[in-house]
Amino acid sequence: MNSLWPLLITLNYVAIAMVIGLRARAGRSMNSLEEWGVAGRSMGPVTLYLLIAAGSVSAYTFMGAPGWAYAKGVAVFYVAIYLSYLALVAWYFGPKVWQFGEQFGHVTQASAISDRYQSPALGALAALVMAIGSIAYAVLQTIGSAYILFVMSGGLIPIWLGVVLVLACIAVYLYASGQRAIGRTNAFQGVLMVVVAWAVGLWAVHSATGGLSFAGVFERIQAEHSEFLTLPGAGGDMSFSFWTTSIIVSMFSFMPPVWTQWMSASSARTIRRSATWLPTYYVVILPMVVVGFIGIFSLPELARADTVVLEYAMQHLPVVLVGLLGAGTLAASMSSSEPFIHSVSLSLSKDVLQPVLKLSDGVTGKLARLLILPIMFLVVAPLAIAEPGSLVMILLVGLGFASQVLPAFIGMFFWPRASRLGVMAGIVVGFLITVALTTLWPHPLGIHAGFWGLMLNLPVFVAVSLMTPATHAEVVERFFRIAAPRGFSRLGQEASQSLT
Amino acid sequence: MGRLLVLPTSRAGWGLLIAFVALVLAGTWPVIGLVNRATLVMGLPLMVVWSYLVIFACVVVMLIGNRIVERDDHE
Repeated sequence: MNSLWPLLITLNYVAIAMVIGLRARAGRSMNSLEEWGVAGRSMGPVTLYLLIAAGSVSAYTFMGAPGWAYAKGVAVFYVAIYLSYLALVAWYFGPKVWQFGEQFGHVTQASAISDRYQSPALGALAALVMAIGSIAYAVLQTIGSAYILFVMSGGLIPIWLGVVLVLACIAVYLYASGQRAIGRTNAFQGVLMVVVAWAVGLWAVHSATGGLSFAGVFERIQAEHSEFLTLPGAGGDMSFSFWTTSIIVSMFSFMPPVWTQWMSASSARTIRRSATWLPTYYVVILPMVVVGFIGIFSLPELARADTVVLEYAMQHLPVVLVGLLGAGTLAASMSSSEPFIHSVSLSLSKDVLQPVLKLSDGVTGKLARLLILPIMFLVVAPLAIAEPGSLVMILLVGLGFASQVLPAFIGMFFWPRASRLGVMAGIVVGFLITVALTTLWPHPLGIHAGFWGLMLNLPVFVAVSLMTPATHAEVVERFFRIAAPRGFSRLGQEASQSLT
Repeated sequence: MGRLLVLPTSRAGWGLLIAFVALVLAGTWPVIGLVNRATLVMGLPLMVVWSYLVIFACVVVMLIGNRIVERDDHE
């Protein structure tokens, strides 16, 4: 590809994202955690919809998902289903989390955990271990961004330079405007991704079949490669059990940036309205996946499955669309990495450094902004440039851990008797099982390692909670006035009763 | 309060909980096994059509949920 258009279009997107991110500040002081961390709890339903949607649609949608379709087939749609279930999770839990934040001043997930169990140590532990998965995720997205710049520039922008360019761009507007920048840029990126995905998908279908209907593609797949249309897929590795347990584990992974997004809403009702329509955004996945299916018969000898859309676009699509694809893919990876970088910085400042160094809220607010720089340039950049082979493993373990924090949330929303030691014991047992069944004996019986972890985590959590002291009644009451405004039910009885 | 749990306290609440569980069951095994066939519906694989039916059913259930929550006037 010799044209400069794809690179110019991609760089133009980067410039627009920077301007939008910088303007999001609109003259406000960003030195408080409330403002920089959760945008002063001010986001309306449309911005919040696009913030959550674009944040959840990563480079995976533009590269990984078509790659899965190319290699495995319809198994890839488990992603669309679990993303919709995450909307159900947001609909139920989001408004309550928002009320916790608004009434108790929480700006991070770990602050809420620390407050509910009256244990800064548990909050710090949650913040630190969630940071592992979050950083691994941000690194993967940064690698994707640098790869796009490398391809769009025809190799002129090496990976290391692409990493530095993308992180520098994010650093500037993230430092300046915090969560407001993430909200505004994600809104722009969210719209761009839908437009690009459908434009590229429809053009690819037209070039492959002569029409605009997806039917031509799937009729050919059905005739020549029907194994791509069912589970366990062409690779034979997506069993019903792996499909089901992957969805359940992903659904219960309450990642910290999502929590921060909920707390950025202007009201509890705003979250509910945004969550209601969130699944509609996932039509963005369909056209990109169809290009993956086209690759099955158009690019049968591809070395790397996740390059199928880029390869097909460069061979069959006009340069302007290739440039838009570059911009769209870069938008997907940037919109997913920046919330994770932001939330790691926010949580390390608020939940680890503030209690350890006994900092004031004002100093902590300034520290959170500054901390993004060492996180990006001393941790994310070197890891992205080095591309360690174990990164995906770190990510899997990190996400496996995320689901192991489930007991902390059960105790926050459903079960007042949950104790600090019960949560800690459940998390430790679940985490060890998840690590072991991710590394030593991967996913036994085709069941996701995180699911095995939960199966042991939950009984340990319940047993240890019942054997150890509960949190002070006044703290529990404070939380459950929000989590259970209409009182409680005793198992097996219909009557409800209030806590006090 | 040792064994107290947060559970729905109205018939509408229970209905909503049942609908949420039904949605999760619709996208997982064993239900997903019933649509695991290499047939096309409106030009799309049955699994894809079913996935998007589940996805849009989530929207419908949440819309109904919004009416219930706003009618009962509790956040």
